[in-house]
Amino acid sequence: MSHEKKTPLIRLAKRDGMEGWKVWCIRAGSILFALLLGALVMALAGANPVTAYGTMISGALGKKSAIRQTVKIAVPLLGCALAIAPCFKMRFWNIGAEGQITAGAIAATYFALFWVDRLPSPVLLVVMGLAGALAGGVWALIPAFFKAKWNTNETLFTLMMNYIVIGVVRWLQGGPWEGRKGSQIIPQFDSAACLPRVLGVHCGWIIVLVLVVFMHVYMNHTKHGYEIAVIGDSINTARYAGMNVGRVMMRTMFLSGAISGLVGFIVASGANNTLYDGVAGGVGFTSITVAWLSQLNAFAMVGISGLLAVLSKGAETLQTRMAVPTSISDIITGILLFCMLGCEFFINYKLIFRGAGKKEARHE
Amino acid sequence: MKKFLALLLSMILALSLAACGGGSGESQPADDSQPADSQPADSGSEPAEPEAKTVKVGLICIGDENDQGYTYNFIRGKEAATEALAAKGINVEWVPKWNIGEDSGCEDANIELADEGCDLIINNSFGFEPFMLKVAPDYPDIEFISCTNQASWGDGLENTHNAFANIYEGRYLAGVVAGMKLQQMIDDGEITADQAVIGYVGAFSFAEVISGFTSYFLGARSVCPSVTMKVQFVGSWSDATEEANAASALADMGCVMISQHSDNTTPATTAQSKGVFHTGYNNDMISVAPEASLIGTRINWAPYFEYAIESVANGESFDQDWCHGMDMDAVVMTDLNEAIAAPGTAEKLAEVEEQIRSGKLQVFDTSTFTIDGKALESAFALDTDGDFAPDSEEAVFDGAFHESYFQSAPYFALSIDGIEWLNSAF
Repeated sequence: MSHEKKTPLIRLAKRDGMEGWKVWCIRAGSILFALLLGALVMALAGANPVTAYGTMISGALGKKSAIRQTVKIAVPLLGCALAIAPCFKMRFWNIGAEGQITAGAIAATYFALFWVDRLPSPVLLVVMGLAGALAGGVWALIPAFFKAKWNTNETLFTLMMNYIVIGVVRWLQGGPWEGRKGSQIIPQFDSAACLPRVLGVHCGWIIVLVLVVFMHVYMNHTKHGYEIAVIGDSINTARYAGMNVGRVMMRTMFLSGAISGLVGFIVASGANNTLYDGVAGGVGFTSITVAWLSQLNAFAMVGISGLLAVLSKGAETLQTRMAVPTSISDIITGILLFCMLGCEFFINYKLIFRGAGKKEARHE
Repeated sequence: MKKFLALLLSMILALSLAACGGGSGESQPADDSQPADSQPADSGSEPAEPEAKTVKVGLICIGDENDQGYTYNFIRGKEAATEALAAKGINVEWVPKWNIGEDSGCEDANIELADEGCDLIINNSFGFEPFMLKVAPDYPDIEFISCTNQASWGDGLENTHNAFANIYEGRYLAGVVAGMKLQQMIDDGEITADQAVIGYVGAFSFAEVISGFTSYFLGARSVCPSVTMKVQFVGSWSDATEEANAASALADMGCVMISQHSDNTTPATTAQSKGVFHTGYNNDMISVAPEASLIGTRINWAPYFEYAIESVANGESFDQDWCHGMDMDAVVMTDLNEAIAAPGTAEKLAEVEEQIRSGKLQVFDTSTFTIDGKALESAFALDTDGDFAPDSEEAVFDGAFHESYFQSAPYFALSIDGIEWLNSAF
């Protein structure tokens, strides 16, 4: 019992093999808890929480035009989450998707602005997409190369690369690609360089859905996917098994950047029809949450990115109809994500209180 | 496990109670998201007599009231217009959208406001127009306004509108105030005639900015013939630090008067700390720099909002390209700082204002300035082929460059003698 006294008030212990239903109960509970906390925030902001949640849902899904806008928000989130999934599986912390999206958008914009007279629209769009993928891939390859060669810190490296490429866009906006002098605005693309609409939304949604299937197969049923998984578990094991770790890293980062670059092309050509410094708009970071919440499962990402898009569009409607500031909705989204990510902690660990001996550990 | 459940249950109870409590407390119509800001203007939504017409107006803003500059100025216009319209029996139900970016988010905001049943949607920033134009064709019954932009005269759409104000008139008057102060300093022997240098903090080398500082300079030179000006572009419409740095650098270069076309009050405070004078824009800056700020000028959006909303309420069409100045109080001067202004300034201001109103004085009178030593004889106003270089409509006639005559957005983008551009990278 002297041992008992020295233990801290709360201890953590790895928990394995919790039953499936309990896991889902915790997850559902965390969402419920988040919604209730969110209701509290809304009440404090002076809105009736029930009406507010109703407004958010009807605002995001209540009308055809609303659904279209929601899908438009979800597309880059999903695409970018797919892009970073293999990196994260490999435990390569690529937080430079923001920059990779932007790099892809720059390359696509170059062709949209200067090749529009030389190529027919379908060819132009394919060229833009390929250019975007290539630029994003190369932008991602740089930190991967340094990591593979000199083991630099990829988190800092990819993060810093974001600011560089966003600076490049600012320069293009005010300099060589500027439309009206002094406006800092790059002219809208010719319609030939804009992604056509399918069911009212630019066809980027089809591209990302194809990518979902591709990424699922790539991660789970190919040799590449297997190599990524092994490196993620243990680099030494991978080396021992004779894998060229550096090469796999560079290859995976190129692929990741290429998909991000493709997303950049989709956003520039499909949604904005122009390029500006906020083209990535935080998607590169939000998609990390999407990937993590989905536990790197490509199909789950469809649902999670959809959820985030509903929240985001719902927040806009909430502001329009009930004059709730959008920042309140951001808080609610934040609470929801925090609870959803946080609950994984309680699924993987249990808390043991001092003196609690054999008693059951608490979940929340 | 039991403990956990009990805890969870009690938490749910507590939260739902709190939620309900909050919910019932919130029954006043939240028709505006400005918190607690008492707005007599919006009380037009109290039970109205059946006669009253109600117009639902969407307002998409790049910022919110906290910027105390650009968007705040629109909010002032919105409130004043609401009040004026209420007196005419027209209720305005505003649906504002704050902090919207110049990207597809602006398109979404336009769609959303259209779907919410707005009769009129006002976009307040220059960069909103291309996105507004993607939405306008789908809603032919809704009128769309893009303030400060310029496509409506040629976009082929009936329901799109542009509006601006002849802010150059206000700039000219502010310049007169600055020029009188400089002349007073020369007369008092504080500075020599060639030390009368104005420093101007500009956002970008954009026509609106160039037109503004040129008219300001011409105003100053009309009362202080030896004045010259240096312009520093900061590369942002709103960057408090950069604006302060630019003002500070200009003062160090010997500028004794600072003015600005940027959103913050930091040029005013910098001018005060450097011991030089200042004239402002968008807002009255005397409160932040009482020893430096002489006067300011701003666009008053109320007359236009009133005109547009009243037209919509009466089912009438209205101008697709509206631009007025002091004639309709669309441009106003903020209070003159009598304590530091040169004596006689108020009288001179009234006199010049009258000349502008009556049309006797043309701000861009071609006999008052030269370009590379030559008088301006010809300059085009409009760009019709989309290459962003003006190619049609001769703006110079009757002895003056006619600003905001062919379209509301300013198009004077010439570099006149006496003004030195320190940095045209932006």
